[in-house]
Amino acid sequence: MPTTDSKQAACPPRRARFTRGLKLGLPIFLGYVPVGAAFGVVAREVGFTPFQAIVCSATALAGAGQLIALQLIGAGASVAAVIVTTAVVNLRYVLFGAAMSPHVSRVRLPGQAFLAFTLTDETFAVNIDDHRRSLADGYSMAGVGTIAWTGWVLGTAIGAVAAGFIGDPTRFGVQFAMPAMFTALLVAQAEDRRHVITACVAAVLAVAFMLTLPDPWYLIAAPMLAATAATVVTR
Amino acid sequence: MTTGAIWAVIAGMAVANFAIRFPSLAILSRKELPEWARRWLSFIPVSAMATLVAGGVLRPDGDWMVSVADPYLWAAIGTGAFYWRFRSFIGATVTGVILFLALRAVLG
Repeated sequence: MPTTDSKQAACPPRRARFTRGLKLGLPIFLGYVPVGAAFGVVAREVGFTPFQAIVCSATALAGAGQLIALQLIGAGASVAAVIVTTAVVNLRYVLFGAAMSPHVSRVRLPGQAFLAFTLTDETFAVNIDDHRRSLADGYSMAGVGTIAWTGWVLGTAIGAVAAGFIGDPTRFGVQFAMPAMFTALLVAQAEDRRHVITACVAAVLAVAFMLTLPDPWYLIAAPMLAATAATVVTR
Repeated sequence: MTTGAIWAVIAGMAVANFAIRFPSLAILSRKELPEWARRWLSFIPVSAMATLVAGGVLRPDGDWMVSVADPYLWAAIGTGAFYWRFRSFIGATVTGVILFLALRAVLG
Protein backbone atom coordinates (compact mmCIF):
# COMPACT_ATOMS: atom_id res chain seq x y z
CA MET A 1 0.00 0.00 0.00
CA PRO A 2 1.95 3.03 -1.16
CA THR A 3 2.25 5.82 1.33
CA THR A 4 3.89 9.19 1.36
CA ASP A 5 5.33 9.04 4.84
CA SER A 6 8.77 10.63 4.77
CA LYS A 7 9.79 8.48 7.74
CA GLN A 8 9.66 5.48 5.44
CA ALA A 9 13.11 6.29 4.17
CA ALA A 10 14.34 4.64 7.37
CA CYS A 11 11.80 1.82 7.19
CA PRO A 12 12.40 -1.67 5.83
CA PRO A 13 11.60 -2.07 2.13
CA ARG A 14 8.01 -2.64 1.06
CA ARG A 15 8.57 -6.33 0.40
CA ALA A 16 9.98 -6.86 3.90
CA ARG A 17 7.00 -5.07 5.43
CA PHE A 18 4.57 -7.14 3.33
CA THR A 19 6.39 -10.34 4.32
CA ARG A 20 6.24 -9.28 7.95
CA GLY A 21 2.46 -8.98 7.54
CA LEU A 22 2.30 -12.47 6.03
CA LYS A 23 4.10 -13.85 9.09
CA LEU A 24 1.92 -11.85 11.43
CA GLY A 25 -1.18 -13.29 9.78
CA LEU A 26 0.06 -16.90 9.71
CA PRO A 27 -1.98 -17.87 12.79
CA ILE A 28 -5.08 -16.55 11.00
CA PHE A 29 -4.18 -18.71 8.00
CA LEU A 30 -3.87 -21.79 10.22
CA GLY A 31 -7.20 -21.00 11.87
CA TYR A 32 -9.00 -20.24 8.62
CA VAL A 33 -7.98 -23.43 6.78
CA PRO A 34 -10.05 -25.79 8.98
CA VAL A 35 -13.00 -23.40 9.27
CA GLY A 36 -12.86 -22.73 5.51
CA ALA A 37 -12.79 -26.50 4.98
CA ALA A 38 -15.92 -26.79 7.12
CA PHE A 39 -17.55 -24.17 4.91
CA GLY A 40 -16.51 -26.12 1.81
CA VAL A 41 -17.98 -29.37 3.16
CA VAL A 42 -21.31 -27.79 4.13
CA ALA A 43 -21.46 -25.82 0.86
CA ARG A 44 -21.35 -29.09 -1.08
CA GLU A 45 -24.12 -30.48 1.14
CA VAL A 46 -26.48 -27.63 0.24
CA GLY A 47 -25.82 -27.87 -3.49
CA PHE A 48 -22.76 -25.72 -4.28
CA THR A 49 -20.25 -27.08 -6.77
CA PRO A 50 -16.61 -26.98 -5.57
CA PHE A 51 -16.03 -24.06 -7.96
CA GLN A 52 -18.99 -22.10 -6.55
CA ALA A 53 -17.80 -22.69 -2.98
CA ILE A 54 -14.31 -21.45 -3.83
CA VAL A 55 -15.60 -18.38 -5.70
CA CYS A 56 -17.91 -17.56 -2.79
CA SER A 57 -15.03 -17.61 -0.30
CA ALA A 58 -12.67 -15.79 -2.65
CA THR A 59 -15.10 -12.93 -3.30
CA ALA A 60 -16.96 -12.58 0.01
CA LEU A 61 -14.38 -13.57 2.68
CA ALA A 62 -17.29 -13.40 5.08
CA GLY A 63 -16.58 -16.19 7.59
CA ALA A 64 -19.59 -16.57 9.84
CA GLY A 65 -21.71 -14.72 7.28
CA GLN A 66 -21.01 -17.44 4.71
CA LEU A 67 -21.79 -20.25 7.15
CA ILE A 68 -25.09 -18.59 8.06
CA ALA A 69 -25.87 -18.21 4.34
CA LEU A 70 -25.51 -21.96 3.95
CA GLN A 71 -27.87 -22.59 6.87
CA LEU A 72 -30.45 -20.31 5.25
CA ILE A 73 -30.04 -21.90 1.82
CA GLY A 74 -30.44 -25.33 3.42
CA ALA A 75 -33.63 -24.09 5.08
CA GLY A 76 -35.03 -22.95 1.73
CA ALA A 77 -34.63 -19.17 2.14
CA SER A 78 -34.84 -16.84 -0.87
CA VAL A 79 -31.79 -15.27 -2.54
CA ALA A 80 -32.69 -11.84 -1.15
CA ALA A 81 -33.19 -13.18 2.39
CA VAL A 82 -29.78 -14.87 2.32
CA ILE A 83 -27.98 -11.75 1.09
CA VAL A 84 -29.73 -9.38 3.50
CA THR A 85 -29.16 -11.64 6.52
CA THR A 86 -25.46 -12.11 5.81
CA ALA A 87 -25.13 -8.36 5.29
CA VAL A 88 -26.69 -7.73 8.70
CA VAL A 89 -24.38 -10.32 10.28
CA ASN A 90 -21.45 -8.39 8.84
CA LEU A 91 -22.68 -4.89 9.69
CA ARG A 92 -20.07 -4.74 12.44
CA TYR A 93 -17.51 -4.24 9.67
CA VAL A 94 -18.84 -0.71 9.29
CA LEU A 95 -17.55 -0.13 12.82
CA PHE A 96 -14.32 -1.98 12.11
CA GLY A 97 -13.75 0.07 8.97
CA ALA A 98 -14.32 3.25 10.96
CA ALA A 99 -11.92 2.08 13.68
CA MET A 100 -9.29 1.28 11.04
CA SER A 101 -9.75 4.59 9.23
CA PRO A 102 -7.25 6.69 11.24
CA HIS A 103 -4.59 4.07 10.51
CA VAL A 104 -5.05 4.01 6.73
CA SER A 105 -5.16 7.74 6.04
CA ARG A 106 -1.87 7.56 4.12
CA VAL A 107 -2.86 4.51 2.08
CA ARG A 108 -4.08 5.20 -1.45
CA LEU A 109 -7.64 4.35 -2.47
CA PRO A 110 -6.88 1.04 -4.29
CA GLY A 111 -4.88 -0.05 -1.24
CA GLN A 112 -7.73 0.94 1.04
CA ALA A 113 -10.10 -1.08 -1.16
CA PHE A 114 -7.91 -4.16 -0.73
CA LEU A 115 -7.67 -3.64 3.04
CA ALA A 116 -11.45 -3.25 3.22
CA PHE A 117 -11.95 -6.40 1.12
CA THR A 118 -9.73 -8.39 3.50
CA LEU A 119 -11.21 -6.84 6.66
CA THR A 120 -12.32 -9.65 8.95
CA ASP A 121 -12.61 -9.98 12.72
CA GLU A 122 -9.17 -11.52 12.88
CA THR A 123 -7.30 -9.26 10.42
CA PHE A 124 -8.88 -6.28 12.16
CA ALA A 125 -7.77 -7.36 15.63
CA VAL A 126 -4.26 -8.34 14.52
CA ASN A 127 -3.74 -5.06 12.62
CA ILE A 128 -5.12 -2.93 15.46
CA ASP A 129 -2.80 -4.72 17.89
CA ASP A 130 0.11 -4.11 15.51
CA HIS A 131 -0.83 -0.42 15.24
CA ARG A 132 -0.84 -0.11 19.01
CA ARG A 133 2.79 -1.13 18.91
CA SER A 134 3.36 1.42 16.12
CA LEU A 135 4.58 -1.32 13.79
CA ALA A 136 1.77 -1.60 11.21
CA ASP A 137 1.64 0.15 7.86
CA GLY A 138 -0.24 -0.38 4.62
CA TYR A 139 2.09 -3.09 3.36
CA SER A 140 2.09 -5.12 6.55
CA MET A 141 -1.71 -4.89 6.70
CA ALA A 142 -1.88 -6.04 3.07
CA GLY A 143 0.31 -9.02 4.05
CA VAL A 144 -2.04 -9.91 6.91
CA GLY A 145 -5.04 -9.64 4.57
CA THR A 146 -3.38 -11.70 1.83
CA ILE A 147 -2.44 -14.61 4.10
CA ALA A 148 -5.90 -14.59 5.72
CA TRP A 149 -7.62 -14.64 2.31
CA THR A 150 -5.34 -17.46 1.15
CA GLY A 151 -6.15 -19.56 4.21
CA TRP A 152 -9.88 -19.07 3.84
CA VAL A 153 -9.91 -19.89 0.11
CA LEU A 154 -7.47 -22.81 0.44
CA GLY A 155 -9.50 -24.26 3.30
CA THR A 156 -12.69 -23.92 1.27
CA ALA A 157 -11.06 -25.66 -1.69
CA ILE A 158 -9.89 -28.54 0.49
CA GLY A 159 -13.31 -28.91 2.09
CA ALA A 160 -15.26 -28.60 -1.15
CA VAL A 161 -13.08 -30.99 -3.13
CA ALA A 162 -12.55 -33.55 -0.36
CA ALA A 163 -15.98 -33.29 1.26
CA GLY A 164 -16.56 -37.02 0.89
CA PHE A 165 -13.33 -37.89 2.72
CA ILE A 166 -13.65 -35.30 5.48
CA GLY A 167 -17.18 -36.15 6.56
CA ASP A 168 -18.45 -34.24 9.57
CA PRO A 169 -15.84 -31.50 10.24
CA THR A 170 -17.09 -30.89 13.78
CA ARG A 171 -15.43 -34.10 14.96
CA PHE A 172 -12.12 -32.25 14.54
CA GLY A 173 -13.26 -29.41 16.81
CA VAL A 174 -13.35 -26.83 13.99
CA GLN A 175 -16.39 -25.17 15.56
CA PHE A 176 -14.11 -23.92 18.34
CA ALA A 177 -11.40 -22.53 16.02
CA MET A 178 -13.18 -19.16 15.62
CA PRO A 179 -14.13 -18.75 19.34
CA ALA A 180 -10.52 -19.68 20.21
CA MET A 181 -9.16 -16.99 17.87
CA PHE A 182 -11.66 -14.44 19.19
CA THR A 183 -10.68 -15.26 22.80
CA ALA A 184 -6.96 -14.84 22.13
CA LEU A 185 -7.62 -11.59 20.24
CA LEU A 186 -9.82 -10.34 23.08
CA VAL A 187 -7.03 -10.86 25.61
CA ALA A 188 -4.65 -9.13 23.18
CA GLN A 189 -6.95 -6.08 23.06
CA ALA A 190 -7.38 -5.84 26.84
CA GLU A 191 -4.35 -3.64 27.33
CA ASP A 192 -5.37 -1.89 30.55
CA ARG A 193 -8.07 -1.78 33.21
CA ARG A 194 -10.34 0.46 31.12
CA HIS A 195 -10.33 -2.06 28.29
CA VAL A 196 -10.94 -5.01 30.63
CA ILE A 197 -13.96 -3.25 32.14
CA THR A 198 -15.21 -2.28 28.67
CA ALA A 199 -14.89 -5.92 27.56
CA CYS A 200 -16.92 -7.08 30.56
CA VAL A 201 -19.61 -4.48 29.85
CA ALA A 202 -19.72 -5.51 26.18
CA ALA A 203 -20.06 -9.20 27.11
CA VAL A 204 -22.95 -8.48 29.52
CA LEU A 205 -24.63 -6.29 26.89
CA ALA A 206 -24.13 -9.01 24.28
CA VAL A 207 -25.98 -11.51 26.47
CA ALA A 208 -28.74 -8.98 27.17
CA PHE A 209 -29.13 -8.19 23.47
CA MET A 210 -29.02 -11.85 22.44
CA LEU A 211 -31.99 -12.36 24.77
CA THR A 212 -33.95 -9.31 23.66
CA LEU A 213 -33.05 -8.38 20.06
CA PRO A 214 -33.62 -10.41 16.91
CA ASP A 215 -30.44 -12.05 15.62
CA PRO A 216 -27.82 -10.91 14.79
CA TRP A 217 -28.25 -7.31 15.96
CA TYR A 218 -26.39 -7.95 19.22
CA LEU A 219 -23.18 -8.09 17.16
CA ILE A 220 -23.40 -4.40 16.41
CA ALA A 221 -25.52 -3.10 19.32
CA ALA A 222 -23.31 -4.42 22.14
CA PRO A 223 -19.97 -3.04 20.88
CA MET A 224 -21.50 0.35 20.05
CA LEU A 225 -23.12 0.75 23.45
CA ALA A 226 -20.12 -0.55 25.38
CA ALA A 227 -17.78 1.81 23.48
CA THR A 228 -20.18 4.70 24.12
CA ALA A 229 -20.27 3.95 27.86
CA ALA A 230 -16.48 3.73 27.96
CA THR A 231 -16.12 7.03 26.07
CA VAL A 232 -18.50 8.82 28.44
CA VAL A 233 -16.92 7.40 31.60
CA THR A 234 -13.35 8.15 30.50
CA ARG A 235 -14.16 11.70 29.40
CA MET B 1 -31.71 -23.74 -4.71
CA THR B 2 -30.90 -23.71 -8.44
CA THR B 3 -27.42 -23.14 -9.84
CA GLY B 4 -28.49 -19.70 -11.04
CA ALA B 5 -29.82 -18.80 -7.60
CA ILE B 6 -26.57 -19.93 -5.95
CA TRP B 7 -24.60 -17.70 -8.33
CA ALA B 8 -26.95 -14.82 -7.45
CA VAL B 9 -26.26 -15.41 -3.74
CA ILE B 10 -22.51 -15.50 -4.37
CA ALA B 11 -22.59 -12.25 -6.37
CA GLY B 12 -24.89 -10.54 -3.88
CA MET B 13 -22.75 -11.53 -0.92
CA ALA B 14 -19.59 -10.33 -2.65
CA VAL B 15 -21.11 -6.92 -3.43
CA ALA B 16 -22.80 -6.54 -0.04
CA ASN B 17 -19.69 -7.45 1.93
CA PHE B 18 -17.50 -5.00 0.09
CA ALA B 19 -20.16 -2.29 0.26
CA ILE B 20 -20.30 -2.75 4.04
CA ARG B 21 -16.54 -2.78 4.60
CA PHE B 22 -15.22 -0.12 2.26
CA PRO B 23 -17.14 3.20 2.69
CA SER B 24 -16.57 3.78 6.41
CA LEU B 25 -12.87 3.00 6.09
CA ALA B 26 -12.30 5.13 2.98
CA ILE B 27 -14.48 8.11 3.88
CA LEU B 28 -13.44 8.48 7.52
CA SER B 29 -9.74 8.08 6.66
CA ARG B 30 -10.00 11.38 4.79
CA LYS B 31 -11.47 13.26 7.72
CA GLU B 32 -9.91 14.58 10.90
CA LEU B 33 -12.08 12.96 13.56
CA PRO B 34 -12.81 14.79 16.81
CA GLU B 35 -11.08 13.51 19.93
CA TRP B 36 -14.24 11.90 21.35
CA ALA B 37 -14.84 9.99 18.12
CA ARG B 38 -11.29 8.67 18.06
CA ARG B 39 -11.66 7.61 21.69
CA TRP B 40 -14.99 5.91 20.91
CA LEU B 41 -13.43 4.03 18.00
CA SER B 42 -10.50 2.99 20.20
CA PHE B 43 -12.93 1.03 22.39
CA ILE B 44 -14.57 -0.75 19.43
CA PRO B 45 -11.95 -3.55 19.03
CA VAL B 46 -12.13 -4.78 22.62
CA SER B 47 -15.92 -4.38 22.72
CA ALA B 48 -16.39 -6.26 19.45
CA MET B 49 -14.10 -9.13 20.46
CA ALA B 50 -15.87 -9.46 23.83
CA THR B 51 -19.22 -9.59 21.99
CA LEU B 52 -17.96 -12.25 19.58
CA VAL B 53 -16.56 -14.33 22.44
CA ALA B 54 -19.82 -14.03 24.41
CA GLY B 55 -21.86 -15.16 21.40
CA GLY B 56 -19.47 -17.91 20.32
CA VAL B 57 -18.95 -19.37 23.78
CA LEU B 58 -22.25 -18.87 25.60
CA ARG B 59 -24.52 -19.56 22.62
CA PRO B 60 -22.62 -21.64 20.05
CA ASP B 61 -24.71 -22.56 17.00
CA GLY B 62 -27.67 -20.74 18.51
CA ASP B 63 -28.03 -23.01 21.55
CA TRP B 64 -27.48 -21.46 24.97
CA MET B 65 -24.99 -22.99 27.37
CA VAL B 66 -27.05 -25.11 29.75
CA SER B 67 -24.46 -26.07 32.36
CA VAL B 68 -21.17 -24.77 33.73
CA ALA B 69 -19.64 -28.11 32.68
CA ASP B 70 -19.49 -26.73 29.15
CA PRO B 71 -16.52 -27.45 26.87
CA TYR B 72 -16.84 -24.09 25.07
CA LEU B 73 -16.66 -22.14 28.34
CA TRP B 74 -13.65 -23.94 29.84
CA ALA B 75 -11.79 -24.18 26.54
CA ALA B 76 -12.23 -20.41 26.12
CA ILE B 77 -10.92 -19.77 29.63
CA GLY B 78 -7.94 -22.03 28.86
CA THR B 79 -7.34 -20.26 25.53
CA GLY B 80 -7.43 -16.84 27.16
CA ALA B 81 -5.10 -17.95 29.96
CA PHE B 82 -2.65 -19.42 27.41
CA TYR B 83 -2.56 -16.19 25.42
CA TRP B 84 -2.19 -14.11 28.60
CA ARG B 85 0.80 -16.19 29.69
CA PHE B 86 2.58 -16.85 26.40
CA ARG B 87 1.33 -14.09 24.06
CA SER B 88 1.17 -16.57 21.21
CA PHE B 89 -1.88 -16.24 18.96
CA ILE B 90 -1.31 -19.51 17.12
CA GLY B 91 -0.35 -21.35 20.31
CA ALA B 92 -3.52 -20.14 22.03
CA THR B 93 -5.74 -21.11 19.08
CA VAL B 94 -4.26 -24.61 18.73
CA THR B 95 -4.32 -25.13 22.50
CA GLY B 96 -7.92 -23.97 22.59
CA VAL B 97 -9.06 -26.45 19.93
CA ILE B 98 -7.17 -29.35 21.57
CA LEU B 99 -8.59 -28.37 24.96
CA PHE B 100 -12.06 -28.19 23.42
CA LEU B 101 -11.74 -31.69 21.95
CA ALA B 102 -10.45 -33.07 25.27
CA LEU B 103 -13.17 -31.36 27.30
CA ARG B 104 -15.86 -32.46 24.87
CA ALA B 105 -14.67 -36.06 25.24
CA VAL B 106 -14.80 -35.77 29.04
CA LEU B 107 -17.81 -33.54 29.58
CA GLY B 108 -19.84 -34.60 26.57
